Amino acid sequence: MMSEFDVIVVGGGPAGTSAAIRLAQNKVNVLLVDRADPPGSKNVSGGVLWGNDLGKIIPDWEKIIPVERLITRKGTTFLTKDSAISLDFSSRKFLTNRTGYSVLRVKMDLALAKKAKEEGAMVIGGVTVDSVARKDGKIIGIEQDGDTITSDTVILAEGANPRVAIDSGLRKPIGDRDVAIGVKQIYKIPEDKINERFNLSGNEGFAGEYVLGYLPDGVEAGGFLYTNKNTLSVGVVVSPSHLRNYGQMHSYDIMEEFVQHPSIARLVEGGRLEEYSAHLVVEGGLSSVPKLYGDGYMIAGDAAGFSFSNGLVIQGMNYAIASGIAAADTFIEAKEKGNYTAKALSDYQKKLEESYVLKDLRTFKGIENSTWSSMAHRTIPDILERFLFRLNLEDGLPKKHILELLLRSVSESGHNKTSLALEAYRMMRRM
Amino acid sequence: MTLKIIVMMKQVPDAEEIFIDPVTYTLNRTAARGVINIPDENALEIALQIKDKVGAEVTVISMGPPQAEEAIIECMGRGADRGILITDRAFAAADTYATSLTLAATIDKIGKYDIILAGESTTDSGTGHVGPGVAEFLDIDQVTYAESAEVVDDKIRVKRILEDADEVVEVPFPVLVTVLTGANIPRRATLRRKIDAIKKGIERWDHETLGLPPDWIGIRGSPTIVGAVKVPEEKKRASKKISLEQIPEMIDELFEKGIIKREDGA
Repeated sequence: MMSEFDVIVVGGGPAGTSAAIRLAQNKVNVLLVDRADPPGSKNVSGGVLWGNDLGKIIPDWEKIIPVERLITRKGTTFLTKDSAISLDFSSRKFLTNRTGYSVLRVKMDLALAKKAKEEGAMVIGGVTVDSVARKDGKIIGIEQDGDTITSDTVILAEGANPRVAIDSGLRKPIGDRDVAIGVKQIYKIPEDKINERFNLSGNEGFAGEYVLGYLPDGVEAGGFLYTNKNTLSVGVVVSPSHLRNYGQMHSYDIMEEFVQHPSIARLVEGGRLEEYSAHLVVEGGLSSVPKLYGDGYMIAGDAAGFSFSNGLVIQGMNYAIASGIAAADTFIEAKEKGNYTAKALSDYQKKLEESYVLKDLRTFKGIENSTWSSMAHRTIPDILERFLFRLNLEDGLPKKHILELLLRSVSESGHNKTSLALEAYRMMRRM
Repeated sequence: MTLKIIVMMKQVPDAEEIFIDPVTYTLNRTAARGVINIPDENALEIALQIKDKVGAEVTVISMGPPQAEEAIIECMGRGADRGILITDRAFAAADTYATSLTLAATIDKIGKYDIILAGESTTDSGTGHVGPGVAEFLDIDQVTYAESAEVVDDKIRVKRILEDADEVVEVPFPVLVTVLTGANIPRRATLRRKIDAIKKGIERWDHETLGLPPDWIGIRGSPTIVGAVKVPEEKKRASKKISLEQIPEMIDELFEKGIIKREDGA
């Protein structure tokens, strides 16, 4: 029996819409379903889009996607109770090597869904898919409210909490170590004030990542602050297992403390809180990547655990887009042979192995042990604060060599120099 | 004979996303997404309940810009059989009189109908004129403020919620019923029905389809003149921190100043 659609894509984020756009551009009969109406309106992420992959399906993506600011300044900051220690990189090189833009996801995802529709995909929002439909062990479509909608292949791109994949037994349930909790606020601040505060002009933008080194022992969290046209995206990312270990701490408390930290408070000061959202963030690395394909299905984006974070650079949307396109291309090739078995769709895995998506996950296997470590979150900020304070303080005493100051800061922090050096070396290798 | 039901639906800006422009005093709805006017959802639900019980053909009509198609598809996804969008630049800036006339002409063109259902008013203008206006132009009976309705033989039995009483009335067809916000819990659209709705498509009618002269519609057909729009001034409010023990004292003070009154008027 003929299927009603060639492909059904579940999920209207970057992975799902990219797959649908690529498929529709190749005259594939595709249905994209999202639980939100309009599609994508429930989607959340930090908000910097690295658009190389998007350029493969939308050459003029910078005009089609409502981008906010071109990132020309990047910051990595260790925050302690009293101090902020930053590595600040701003470069005019970013003006010619354009890579990242800050984006607001609800606008961006709606534009991508609209693009998919224009290319010929059927796009439906406001409907929650219940599960995949199976016949003789093969996936033949999806189930929704008692109806079966058939397709030759299903692409599951449902995001960080992939209920359909889990409930259909296509991946294991999400555990503490697979995800972190992201909490995000958007503050409205006049454009000129943002330019003034962040030393920007025109549509230049700042993207900052933060290590929250002032939290109680055992709770590790990162923060971020991105500039949009006339809003700031500010948020924290915290591991649920840490919150569980430390019963008194909630993710929203960590969010509040972050915006009240002196070096953040002055940046958001006077801003009107416009949005408050929370979302799961894929953080599990290679160990939480499920089997990516089977008879009649592929899994892409966050649902497949695709993301990258080394503490300095955090990316997800580009992995989602790249995997969505790879899934689409795999289907297009499979369609020529009319074969949608696991064997035919295994090309998807091959494509991802050849691209940075799985290469990065393999290269940085186990990196989550470094980024979510007491070393990164407490030891380093503590030693740096001691060292830099001593270096910059004029106290009327004779000066000392930098190395001596550094070593003294290490011993004062209560760490053994040799074991610390070893741990730092291991960490650098992972990163 | 299958019962014929027409539901009048308007796509309105999501009330959570609109604000009053502090300079022009007009509603800024540019950022707002379009949603189905809430009581219209309740009206559609009553139509679908009747369809479930006794069988009916449900047609949704809406007057608005081209993007109102999405709201009609959503209605069909919930169970409506047919969707008609009345869309034409010539309808722009219509007041409730010209809107009622246009909708009545649409219903007249559809032809046979037994029940017309509509929300009691819209969340973006709130006059409550259009339902009764359509009934007057069509010269049929109307029942307003309905909480529920069911078909009994060849009549509709409607429960109305009034300020001091509930009223149950029975009216023979054809009849127009306006439905209160929150009268029921609207069902959700299913994927199957939404796919079918998109495949089937909606009909688009303009003023020529309806045979309406340009003088009768849009801004030219609208006798209403908006004199001015004012935003009421914010009243200055006083606040005071008091302890638990001071509450009786505070209440006495509020009585003295006449801010609160006893129920018996003393």
